Amino acid sequence: MSVVGDLIVLLVNGLQTGAIYVLLAIGLSIILGTLKFVNFAHGALFVVGAYAGLLITQEISISNGKLAEWGYATIGLEWGFFAALLIVPMLVFVLGLAMERFVARPFYDRPDTDQILVTFGLAIVVQEVIHALIGPRTYGYDVPSTAFGLLPMTGPIGVPLSDVTINVWRLWVIVITAALVIAVYAIVEYTDFGLVVKAGTRDPEMVRLLGIKITRPYLVMFGIGAALAGIAGVVGGPLQNINPEIGMTILVPAFLTVVIGGVGSVRGAVLGGTLIGMVQVTLISLGSVGLGGFEVNFTPWAQVGIYVLAVIVLLTRPQGLLGSEEVSA
Amino acid sequence: MSDEVKSAEATESGEVDRSPSLYDRWAAVREHEAAVAALTFLGVFLAPLVLVVLPEMLGVPTQYIWYRSLIVLALIWGIFAVGYDLLLGFTGLLSFGHAIFWGTAAYAAGIFSANVTGSPIAMILVGTTTAVLFAWVIGWISLRRGGIYFAILTLAFGQMIYYVFLSPLGWLTGGENGFTGVEVEPLLGFLPLGAEVAVVPDAIVQTWMYVFVGLAAVLAVVVGNRILNSPYGVVLRAIRENEQRAEFVGLNVWRYKLMAFVISGAFAGVAGSLYVIQRSFVPIENTLNWTVSGEIVIMTVLGGVGSLFGPLLGAGLYMYVANIVSGMPAIGDFWHMILGLVFVLVVVLLPEGLWGGLTWLRERAAEAFGGEDR
Repeated sequence: MSVVGDLIVLLVNGLQTGAIYVLLAIGLSIILGTLKFVNFAHGALFVVGAYAGLLITQEISISNGKLAEWGYATIGLEWGFFAALLIVPMLVFVLGLAMERFVARPFYDRPDTDQILVTFGLAIVVQEVIHALIGPRTYGYDVPSTAFGLLPMTGPIGVPLSDVTINVWRLWVIVITAALVIAVYAIVEYTDFGLVVKAGTRDPEMVRLLGIKITRPYLVMFGIGAALAGIAGVVGGPLQNINPEIGMTILVPAFLTVVIGGVGSVRGAVLGGTLIGMVQVTLISLGSVGLGGFEVNFTPWAQVGIYVLAVIVLLTRPQGLLGSEEVSA
Repeated sequence: MSDEVKSAEATESGEVDRSPSLYDRWAAVREHEAAVAALTFLGVFLAPLVLVVLPEMLGVPTQYIWYRSLIVLALIWGIFAVGYDLLLGFTGLLSFGHAIFWGTAAYAAGIFSANVTGSPIAMILVGTTTAVLFAWVIGWISLRRGGIYFAILTLAFGQMIYYVFLSPLGWLTGGENGFTGVEVEPLLGFLPLGAEVAVVPDAIVQTWMYVFVGLAAVLAVVVGNRILNSPYGVVLRAIRENEQRAEFVGLNVWRYKLMAFVISGAFAGVAGSLYVIQRSFVPIENTLNWTVSGEIVIMTVLGGVGSLFGPLLGAGLYMYVANIVSGMPAIGDFWHMILGLVFVLVVVLLPEGLWGGLTWLRERAAEAFGGEDR
């Protein structure tokens, strides 16, 4: 084991963990920044993405859910992972549109607390529907080892200059996330559509007076944010266990990413997600270290470390690392 | 929560020109502190008659009826919810981290009982002190950001404390198995909480545990009522209605918010300690897990934010659904989902919760019986 190899593994694992948070945080951050809407059901979109990916990719046998009792003990489309990668974003995009229209829009004028409460309730309903239908069991699914017989998609590859290996799929998660982030950033920064959204963030009334229909860009932005959460569910699925509770578990780091990076900022979400991912993975891989005669085991502190990071950022820079004061008010 | 200045407490009875009707007199009595205490006392100690004995006489199947230890549990959660409502309903702060105060109090009380003394009153004191300390620190940090950030930060702190207690402090807390060494001693040294109360008819309270928790619940309601009807409570409501205006009047809004947070943390501490006394065990999933923070939000909102008795109603309803309805055929497996749906409906349609709905009905009834128009 060489130091270089360890560092590369650390970097890849950290970036990959962060990438999932980034995908979730961009949606949260944009919706919060432009629409001023707090979406506690964002994690539910992630769960829906993960389960949709699971069911499209392969057949699963249900042992402990209502579907089994109703005679659907094995369900699944078996269309393969790449079909899931294409279909799930579209599915969750539509779900996001429906959510904006029927859940978010009636609540734009209600207090923040009501928005949080209603989306929190919705998240519970989604979680419990999955729980009741498919059961509390944990599932997992795999990525095919190669795409088109050529590109390696999953499995170990050697790291240059060392004898350690990493899972290629982790690299793919980073690449896919990077591509999506650049696309969203380009849409927000360089298109007329993005201009309208940004203008709407500053002064929605003025935009309306100029004769621009602001509701449609908002709708689409919500859909894009939702689709990103869905994609996070699909690409993150093969690297973690899937159960109904993962939505709420991942929501907290995703929110921390937004808080650390700064609301409404795509760049902030990327920075925040990467930071959180790196801190988490570094603490896990540090393991037991002798410090001045004491043996300190850092692994149990990995989950705690990200909250400490968030607290430090909030105390020193309340608007987030890349957030501007006016948007975060 | 809502912007309307309309709650049961805001009613001013007294300065009515015409001769007061029966309803007005009743309303005037109802607002009085001693009346609140007496009504709560009656409610708490007659609950077993209404919820257990009466259905039994009517022949309801046993598995659908409350049992006394479930009422005790509901009262404990009720204390928690009353304190939570002081924060959410009266100050307008939505905390998603109240599991911290309930949970740390539970652990402190449990560990204290194992190592120092298992006197229930000492356990409550230790637990509540711990909860207050945590509330002070976490409130101090979280309240730097208002609104949504407050909710997110408290949620994050909740997760942080959960993970700290789960793993790094596992040697002390028992990790994911929970803390098992709880030893509860008799109340005041001579009253075992599990023993039957000899002086009161068996049908009512049965155990000293019920008396102990029941009195704590009455005390919680009285203290809550006192806080809400004091100038302090008026300031809290002013902050809820318009924070900026309260600031301009010269009130130190930040300090009042922190105190509201600490007070509600103290209520959670009392409840968490009682929970450990009842269970003689500290399960981490039922104390520090974020689901506890979620449950208290659901109970309070379901029962009714901004009222004194709404949270008690919510706690009772939640406990009944979680423990009794969940065992019913056909709908039992969906109890959590149904609760979630009802919660969403309440948020959308009844911002003042089920108690708000009852209050509305009572006001309509009052109109019909010639009460004062509002």
